[in-house]
Amino acid sequence: MATEKQRFTIERTYTAAIASVWSLWTTKDGFESWWGPGGFSAEVHDLDLRPGGVLRYSMIAVAPEMVAFMTNAGMPTVTEARIIFTLVEPMTRLGYKTVADFIPDVAPYDVDTMVELHQEGERVRMVISFDAMHNDEWSQRMSMGFESQLEKLSGILDPA
Amino acid sequence: MHSSLFQTLADPSRLRIVETLRRGEHAVSDIVEKMDIQQSGVSRHLHILQEAGFVKVRAQGQKRLYSLRPEPFQEIDAWIENYRSFWEARLDKFGEALNKLEGK
Repeated sequence: MATEKQRFTIERTYTAAIASVWSLWTTKDGFESWWGPGGFSAEVHDLDLRPGGVLRYSMIAVAPEMVAFMTNAGMPTVTEARIIFTLVEPMTRLGYKTVADFIPDVAPYDVDTMVELHQEGERVRMVISFDAMHNDEWSQRMSMGFESQLEKLSGILDPA
Repeated sequence: MHSSLFQTLADPSRLRIVETLRRGEHAVSDIVEKMDIQQSGVSRHLHILQEAGFVKVRAQGQKRLYSLRPEPFQEIDAWIENYRSFWEARLDKFGEALNKLEGK
């Protein structure tokens, strides 16, 4: 199980123009409008949309509870992060690696994610697949545990 | 907690034993038939799986019958769902941002 790459997928269908969906992933304004988990905002510094190109951004804790959480966890309230694009096919597919190298005491790890857009009449079906067990290193799972903690906290802050 | 669960399953022989036991209760000899390792190796892996809570054993006469316990698998499921829920929350925001962009 852990020796194989295991992909997990999640999908949503939106009634929207495919160009709008694409722009939320690939433009500064679009990305900033949704990427940060509850209690955080994202600020994009560089966005180089091509395979191997980097999207560099800051995750900024904005909700007071989140600021307190990060402080208690011994983490800065502003963290630099980046994703590296691996595949760019406009309006169709976007692949990227998340590089998490900012978590104290946790070794850097990569997670490969693929976003696929399918036009279905007036609607756009977006399928996101990612590695849940990319490698055998426990560090990665620790980091995911951290993410789920954040998610839980964001659920408390923003029950909607 | 998950660390040991995944480490236990990361071994190909143990994973294969688990796959075999998915089809139901087995005696050690039946498991050995499906493996390309010796009985002593299978017994050792079964012991590790038992220690980690993946399998339970009961005696039937001279035989020891092994079967799966659901608990660790439920735990793995719950862990995966945690990761999924992170994306669910993020995609809720994506949908809101999309509506705003489209002026809805």
